[in-house]
Amino acid sequence: MGGLLISLLSGTQALDAAQAALQSASNNIANANTPGYTREVALLSENPEYFSGGNLTGGGVSVSAIQSVRDELLNLQIQQQTSLKSRADTESSNLQSLQPLFSSTGEDIASTLAAFSSCLGQLSSSPTDASVRQSVLDAGQNLANSFHSAAGGLQSAQSAADQQVTQTVAQINSLTSQIAQLNAQLTPSVMAQQNGGTIEDQRDQLVQQLSTLTDISITQSSDGEVITTGNGTSLIMGGQSFALQTTTGAGGFQQVLDSNGNNITASIQGGQLGGAIQIRDQVIPGFLGSLNSLATQFAAGFNAAQAGGYDSNGAPGQAFFSIPANGSAAASIGVALTSGSQIAASSDKSAGSNGNVANLLAAVNGNMSSGQSPAAAYSNLVYQVGSAASSASAQSSALNQSIVQLTNQQSAASGVNIDEETTNLIRYQTAYEAAARVVSTIQQLNTVTLNMGSTQTF
Amino acid sequence: MTRGEPQPLILKAGEHLYLLRSLAAEIERAMQAISSNNLPELEESVAGQQDLSFRLGQLAHELRDSPESGNLTPFHSLPPDLAQDIRAAAAELQQLNLRYAFLLQYSSRSLALMASLFNSFKGQLKEVPGSRLKLQTWSCQV
Amino acid sequence: MRVNTNIVPNILADLQQSQATLNTLLSELASGKSVNVPSDNPTASAQMVQNALETANVDRYTQNISSALSQVQTAGSVLSSVVTSLTQAVSLGTEGANGTNNSSSLAALAQQVQTILSTVVSQANTTVGGVYLFGGTASGAVPYSADSSSPAGYVYNGNNDANSVAVGDNMNVPINLPGSQVFSDSGNNVIGALNSLVSALKSGNTAQISSATTAVNSSISIVSQAQGFYGNAAGQLNAQETFLQQDTVTLATQQNDLVGANMAQVATELSQAETDNSAAMAAAARILPNSLLNYLPPPA
Repeated sequence: MGGLLISLLSGTQALDAAQAALQSASNNIANANTPGYTREVALLSENPEYFSGGNLTGGGVSVSAIQSVRDELLNLQIQQQTSLKSRADTESSNLQSLQPLFSSTGEDIASTLAAFSSCLGQLSSSPTDASVRQSVLDAGQNLANSFHSAAGGLQSAQSAADQQVTQTVAQINSLTSQIAQLNAQLTPSVMAQQNGGTIEDQRDQLVQQLSTLTDISITQSSDGEVITTGNGTSLIMGGQSFALQTTTGAGGFQQVLDSNGNNITASIQGGQLGGAIQIRDQVIPGFLGSLNSLATQFAAGFNAAQAGGYDSNGAPGQAFFSIPANGSAAASIGVALTSGSQIAASSDKSAGSNGNVANLLAAVNGNMSSGQSPAAAYSNLVYQVGSAASSASAQSSALNQSIVQLTNQQSAASGVNIDEETTNLIRYQTAYEAAARVVSTIQQLNTVTLNMGSTQTF
Repeated sequence: MTRGEPQPLILKAGEHLYLLRSLAAEIERAMQAISSNNLPELEESVAGQQDLSFRLGQLAHELRDSPESGNLTPFHSLPPDLAQDIRAAAAELQQLNLRYAFLLQYSSRSLALMASLFNSFKGQLKEVPGSRLKLQTWSCQV
Repeated sequence: MRVNTNIVPNILADLQQSQATLNTLLSELASGKSVNVPSDNPTASAQMVQNALETANVDRYTQNISSALSQVQTAGSVLSSVVTSLTQAVSLGTEGANGTNNSSSLAALAQQVQTILSTVVSQANTTVGGVYLFGGTASGAVPYSADSSSPAGYVYNGNNDANSVAVGDNMNVPINLPGSQVFSDSGNNVIGALNSLVSALKSGNTAQISSATTAVNSSISIVSQAQGFYGNAAGQLNAQETFLQQDTVTLATQQNDLVGANMAQVATELSQAETDNSAAMAAAARILPNSLLNYLPPPA
């Protein structure tokens, strides 16, 4: 025992030395912004081990104590990451459904914008041709329609996510109720019996399922197992469960309430519920905002160019596009002109002048009031939509691999050598930091490689 | 590598493709190593990645600034298949890189937890009174 | 003691990965594009937006150049024959002013110049694609119509404005001169001069004929100037056309780079992916119990 004490004390000295290295290497790899938190992890053990004043009692038991804590930590991580993976999967499948809305199908905004520009170009060449003027109107209508499709698709996806919220809350309530019932059965005498293990396993499986639906935090209290959401909303206390509720919010979407009626929607961080809420309340509104902004500014710029010219009859140009005063600009944008003769091609009231067409073309190809051209603004949106999906998918894959790593650690060797573990941790830290620098280099290479093939830089 | 006269563009492009694919393979290897907790394998892979990404960076800049292209950018002086392969390899590398970045991020959180465990396992144990089972809590600051 | 139940995620992940790869390659083969949705390659998809707009514009500019060239070349050849007509009128006028003519030969000369005048007027009213070449931007009304109350005998119904056609981003080439700068310029009126020559020949007054002939002669210079304008415009349009051809190639190449699929490559990868997928399925079937079926998505 003395020998063990010495080796453990020297182990703690090693820890002291390593502490400096670890702390200096602490923050942060690849944008990991881990919020600070204090966690309490329960140790279930028959023989208490404790240190007091730096002196160890309990002998070799302390090694298994570290092992137990380590296992609990691993379980904790697996649970958390399972929640996160589930959230990433939910986000990923929602985002996948948005991709066709922004793909090059011929009816998307990029295609109809290009066709609109082309028709205006033809107007430059043939300002008096009635069929060319009509084609400009038609192209404008197609452009408006493609805005409608994109906005409509986004709004549908939002509704779908909203339904997921309702369904997932129902599933959560069903699970917490079952878990509480099992908890109630798990008295010490039951635990000591054979089937105690079975009930425990059943319960653990249900808890695992629950962690895919929402982020959870599990602690032990004097009353038994306590499960809350990551943010502390009670779900289960021992044999008692607390149901979540939903209610329609101001925007028409389902809000999640705790059993006391408090709105906890924004605080759900993981699982299917977290993913659906994130998509519904953050991601899609972001896309819709950009789309509406584009529609509004584009219409305003084009209408202004119209107003600067004269139509076939020498009258000042009227607004080409109509934008509603309230509501979604992209969902409601329309063509206000009814005849090709109303297109303000002329700059001097003469019927054959094309002097204002250059301004109409500039409104389509040049910068809007935001300082970006319509194509640049839309291509930015396409990028956001695409990278959100590929990012969610990458996260899901990465979490899968991370969970595998943690699982492998769980089933790894039973002994824990503090010195060796500490050294390994430092080596891992070093390797991860070097890896992160490589990640960053590769990211930068992307721009260089892409630009090698084009005359413009992105 | 000695450089007397400038190498022909096509040789550089070929090397570019090779490096892109090698780096992608190396990243796959690193992710496998992380999943299986194989530290030596990971360290080896990261060293390889550093070397490859350094050479890749140099080469990419050389290609971009190549005087052989005239009005066209270097890609279009290459046989179309080769240019296409380079683009495809670059795209795949980026996707792997994204996953790799996330894996490092998540795994490093676990790492930090473990580090705190060994760091603070020096006397924070206390007994919780009145518990049905013997409970101790261990606290760690992360 | 916790049982490691997480063996399932490993195999599922592999399976899902190989299935995903298979689906991607199948759709690439079908469409010929390696980027079908933005998430395939967000950066490339974003760049494609700009490419699509530029490609449409370049195509349109190319077409605009084609019709502009036809206008410009027609105008040039019209003016060329106007110069020929004017030169002929000058020699007729010179003959009429030599003092050796009797009234009937003067009448004949007057008739010939009248014919030339009619020809020039109808040339001034040339249309291309239904649009008058020399009416300015008036449109609708014929540029020159007979008007006995007008000193030149014809009135100009057009205006003094010109159109420039879009043939490039921020590039507009003026392609027409209004008649008022070619045929009825206040300082050098071609039609007016011819009309005066007809009157002078009919009057028989040698001095009048002589001065009218001089006026017709000096009006040739304004037509030559106009020829210069159209020649210059043609030059600009041709140069731009060459540039746009290059642009078209660049854009098409860029598009292929961004979204094109290397078909042979895809076919090779596809057969490999099918093999991988079968192997993964077989492996999974051996290791896992039937509950795997609960996790797999239904066949697409």
